[in-house]
Amino acid sequence: MNTSIRIAWLYPDLMSTYGDRGNIICLEKRCQWRGIEARVTQVTLETPARELAHCDLIFMGGAQDRQQKLVGEDFLKRKGPVVKEMVENGTPALFVCAAYQFIGHYYKPYQGEKIPGAGIFDLYTEHPGDQEKRFIGNVTAEIISTKKTIVGFENHGGRTYLGSKLQPFARVKRGFGNNGEDGYEGAVYKNAIGSYFHGPLLPKNPHIADWLIQKALEKKYKALQPLSILDDSLEWQAHNQML
Amino acid sequence: MTTIAVFVGKLVSLVSKLLGFGAGGTWPGEIALRLNPRILTDLASRLKKGVILVAGTNGKTTTALMIKQILENQGYRVVHNASGANLDNGIVSALIQNPRADWGVFETDENSLPIILKSVEPNIIVLLNLFRDQLDRYGEVDVIAEKWKKALRGSKARIIANADDPLVSHLGMTHNATFFGVDDKTKYQKAMEHATDSIFCLSCGGRLTYDGIYFSHLGLWRCPKCGMKRPKPDVSEGISPLPGLYNLYNTLATVCVAKMLGIKADLAGFHPAFGRQEEIGNVKIFLSKNPTGFNQSLRTVLDLGAKQLLLIVNDRIPDGRDVSWIWDVDFEMIPKDVEVRVSGDRVYDLALRLKYASITTSILERLEEALETKDTMYVLPTYSAMLEVRKILKGRKIL
Repeated sequence: MNTSIRIAWLYPDLMSTYGDRGNIICLEKRCQWRGIEARVTQVTLETPARELAHCDLIFMGGAQDRQQKLVGEDFLKRKGPVVKEMVENGTPALFVCAAYQFIGHYYKPYQGEKIPGAGIFDLYTEHPGDQEKRFIGNVTAEIISTKKTIVGFENHGGRTYLGSKLQPFARVKRGFGNNGEDGYEGAVYKNAIGSYFHGPLLPKNPHIADWLIQKALEKKYKALQPLSILDDSLEWQAHNQML
Repeated sequence: MTTIAVFVGKLVSLVSKLLGFGAGGTWPGEIALRLNPRILTDLASRLKKGVILVAGTNGKTTTALMIKQILENQGYRVVHNASGANLDNGIVSALIQNPRADWGVFETDENSLPIILKSVEPNIIVLLNLFRDQLDRYGEVDVIAEKWKKALRGSKARIIANADDPLVSHLGMTHNATFFGVDDKTKYQKAMEHATDSIFCLSCGGRLTYDGIYFSHLGLWRCPKCGMKRPKPDVSEGISPLPGLYNLYNTLATVCVAKMLGIKADLAGFHPAFGRQEEIGNVKIFLSKNPTGFNQSLRTVLDLGAKQLLLIVNDRIPDGRDVSWIWDVDFEMIPKDVEVRVSGDRVYDLALRLKYASITTSILERLEEALETKDTMYVLPTYSAMLEVRKILKGRKIL
């Protein structure tokens, strides 16, 4: 029997601003190199939410404000509830940047009303004002559970605060992370990760990519077979250069 | 006050030249602006004919240079911020060097257009395009478009706009712009590139459909929901002196200017700006600083039969600190028989990106070594990398 997984890429035409595609390319290739068939289902405004049900792994990336508004209603009413159920049932997922904000309870802009989120993660985000510093730059952090490092780039105005039911993903070593105050970066809930490390998080952090693939296979095939080892010397060279 | 400021500015420029730093780039203008914040208005108003501004993500330098050439062919004296110094201080520097010209042709940085419009009342503003570029520095495309919209309100300048770019032509429509666009079915691209920024209607939010795409989000767009569509171009014919579809757009914009001024658009013998399709020995340099620019450069050099490529990505301030965008470039288009070398501050990021495009690369950290070749080599560098390449090849710093 052929091993295969299906990856749902949410809003590739609207929420893919900062090289987010890198995460999809990375997941696809790392499956292919191991002889695992990886198929990508692009889920956008016109796609019926039921398409998600066939997927084993979910990715959603960053967006510009206008694009995020266009996604808003569709995600909250149609795709969000399905994604929430899948995450609750242990489907691995990665939510980056704007998507990370979107899966919380709400986003409060510096002017105007709170924008409701999908409530998949117990967190909220507030924008402190357009005169406040935007968090921009290279970031490094250490994953709390594994003590392994992650590297990336962040660029966000919003400050995200985690609720009591949610674990932070990593501890910031350099940069700002969730809010620039508590020293944490991202959040993890069941097999889903939220992060401010935007765009291509996975290529330079292959351990996270493999963790997501592993979780997807475990859930689909109910068997614990470790992934075969790949030659990641270039991945780690790029990773270590940023430490 | 302007006279003193000009004098000091000239002095700075002279000292800078004597010390071997070149004409001093933006410093003379910066100092003059500090002495007299109104100097840009004063100097610009002394130009006999007026000012033409060129704005957009890609093609500013080449287009400004083309406009300069057609004006000079008419016998006009043209002042122009040639060194790519496209903030207000760069424009002031240029005006200090050459205050008695007929025309000022200035390229302006996306974020500086609103600032410059506060000091200068141009005759013509050319709006080329808006693509994602250095998001950590410029912000998102929509944010720039919004700033332009505000800045153009109240300006009496005549607008020339790219009909094929939905965002730019939307701006143009509210200003009764003269439009340029490509009308050539043979140049349609088969599929849409991933790095597109503006494929949703600005009026109603509906998804745009394209009867033909040229590259990125440029093409024959229309909104099936509200009926808004690409305006019919006033100019769609021109002979580009340089290869690459992007240079056809630059040419058409120039033809538009010529038409508006009632002069000939003669671009025969046009020489590209430094780093833009510049040839130094057997090395050809194609500045490539964002996903759309990189895709266009790649397509052009592959069409030209490139067999040896050197890709260089730096992450300094002029390049943007964030290199995430390399994942939006379609490197997958590079055929297997092309030799690919990589270099630059972020050489490992680049090599990794290419590994995931199934392309084997030679990693050469030292740029001097990367540039060693006997064959024709096409070099695609980011901005600061381009300056380094020229410095190595020419043996001296140009800027």
